[in-house]
Amino acid sequence: MSAAQVALDRVTRVPGVRGALIASSTDGLVVAEQLMDGVDGRAAAALTGSLVARLARTTAGAGLRAPVFLHLRGEGGSILAAPGTDGLVLVAVAGPEANVGLARLEMLNAAGRLG
Amino acid sequence: MSLVNFTAREITCKLVYYGPGRSGKTTNLQYVYGRVPEGRRGRMVSLATQTDRTLFFDFLPLELGSISGFTTKFQLYTVPGQSYYNATRKLVLQGADGVVFVADSQARRFDDNLESLQNLQDNLLSQGVDVRQLPVAFQYNKQDLPRDLILTPEEMDDALNFRAVQSFSADALHGSGVFETLRGISEQVLKRLAAGTQVA
Amino acid sequence: MRALEPWVEAPLQAFLAESAARLTLLMTSSGQVVAQHGFGRSLDVMTAAALGAGIVASTEELARLMGAPKFEALVHHGGHQSCLLAAFATPRGRWIGLVVFGQETSVGIVQLFFDQLVQQLTDSAPREQAPAPRLAENFEHELDASLRALFGR
Repeated sequence: MSAAQVALDRVTRVPGVRGALIASSTDGLVVAEQLMDGVDGRAAAALTGSLVARLARTTAGAGLRAPVFLHLRGEGGSILAAPGTDGLVLVAVAGPEANVGLARLEMLNAAGRLG
Repeated sequence: MSLVNFTAREITCKLVYYGPGRSGKTTNLQYVYGRVPEGRRGRMVSLATQTDRTLFFDFLPLELGSISGFTTKFQLYTVPGQSYYNATRKLVLQGADGVVFVADSQARRFDDNLESLQNLQDNLLSQGVDVRQLPVAFQYNKQDLPRDLILTPEEMDDALNFRAVQSFSADALHGSGVFETLRGISEQVLKRLAAGTQVA
Repeated sequence: MRALEPWVEAPLQAFLAESAARLTLLMTSSGQVVAQHGFGRSLDVMTAAALGAGIVASTEELARLMGAPKFEALVHHGGHQSCLLAAFATPRGRWIGLVVFGQETSVGIVQLFFDQLVQQLTDSAPREQAPAPRLAENFEHELDASLRALFGR
C-alpha cells in the first residue's frame, strides 16, 4: 500500500470523517482520494488547495510561518487540511459529529510523511 | 458561418484560400498583410514546417472597415496544399463563408489543380456543404511566368471554372490580382449575407 | 467583457469572478468569437480564437483516429501563465472555451468553475433560436460604394 493510501486510510477510519483526499496546493488537483458518495473531491481539492496556498502567502506576508493545520467549520460539518511537503495537502471532509481532535492528530501525523 | 453582432454592429466572415501545394495561397496573405495598414490587420499567424510549407494553416484577421454602419471583419485562412494534409484541410474548411481557389497557371501543374479542386468539393460535401451554394472565386496565379509555361486565364477557366464563377488573373508575389480577388470574394460573401441566408 | 448575445454575460461574469482568469474567450467550433474578456485588440481575439479552434479540432481528430473519446480539456501549464482549452455542447451548438490564468489561481479552480460556466450557459441559453435579424435593406446598395472605398479601386 502506498504512503498516500495509508494516510487516507488512517484519516477515513476516524469516526464521522466522510472522506479524505490528497491535493496539490499549487494546481488544486486531486492526487489520491477515498471519499463517500456525494462528496465532491474535485471541488474540495480545488477550493482547499486554493485556500491553503492563499493562507501560506498571507502568513508569509505577515512574516509568520506557514500554517500547519486548517479547520474550516461550517453548519453541516468541517473541512480539515494539513499541508505536507512538496506542495501536497491532506484534506478531510468531516460531518458535524466527527471526532475532529482525533482527525487532526491522524492528519498531522500522516501529512508529515507525504511527498 | 458568418457572425453578425447587431449590438456591437459587427460582421465577421471566414474566407479560406484553397488550392494545390505551392500555388501561392500563403503569398496572397503575405501580400495583403504587407499592404493593409497596421490598424486594419492583426498578426499574421503561419503554422508552417521548417521549410516554410504550410503545416496547418496561415491566418490573417482583417478589418475591412464600415459597411452600412457595420464594422466588417474578415478572417483569411490558407490550407496546406500537399495531398497528405487532407485531415487538416478539412478542419480549416469548417464554417467557411467563402473559398478562393488559388490555381497554379503552369501547364505542368494542371493535374494538381484538378485534383485539389476535386478534393475541395469532396471535403465540402463531407461537411454537408454543396460547393454550388458557397461563394467561390478562382485566382489563376503565376500569370507573370513565360507564356509557353502557363495556361491562359481562358484555358484555366475552361479547365476548372465549370460554374463560371468569378475568376481573376494574378501574380501574387508582386500583388497583381490579389486585392481584386479579395474584393470579389468579399462582395460575394457579403451579398449572400445581405440576402439573409447566412446570418447567425 | 463583450458577448455576442446578452444571456452569455451573467454566466461569464460569474466565472471570471470565481476563477480569477486573466483572459477568457468563448468561440464556436469554427473559431468565431462569441464572447471575450481581457483581450486588448479585437483582431488579436480573432487570432487566439483561430488558433484555439485549430488546436481543439486537431486534438479531437487525433482522438477519433486513436478510437478514444474526445478529450475533455487541454491544459498547457506555463511558468507564469497557463491555459485551459475545452470544447463543450450548448443549445447553440458546440462551443470552445479558452482561458488564460496566472499564479493567482489554479488549474483546479479554473476547471471547477469552467464546468459551472458550461452548466450555466446550458441552463440560460434561450430554448428557441431567436429569429435571425436581417441586415438593413440598404446594406447591399451601400456594399459597392463601401468596397470601393475600402479597397481603393
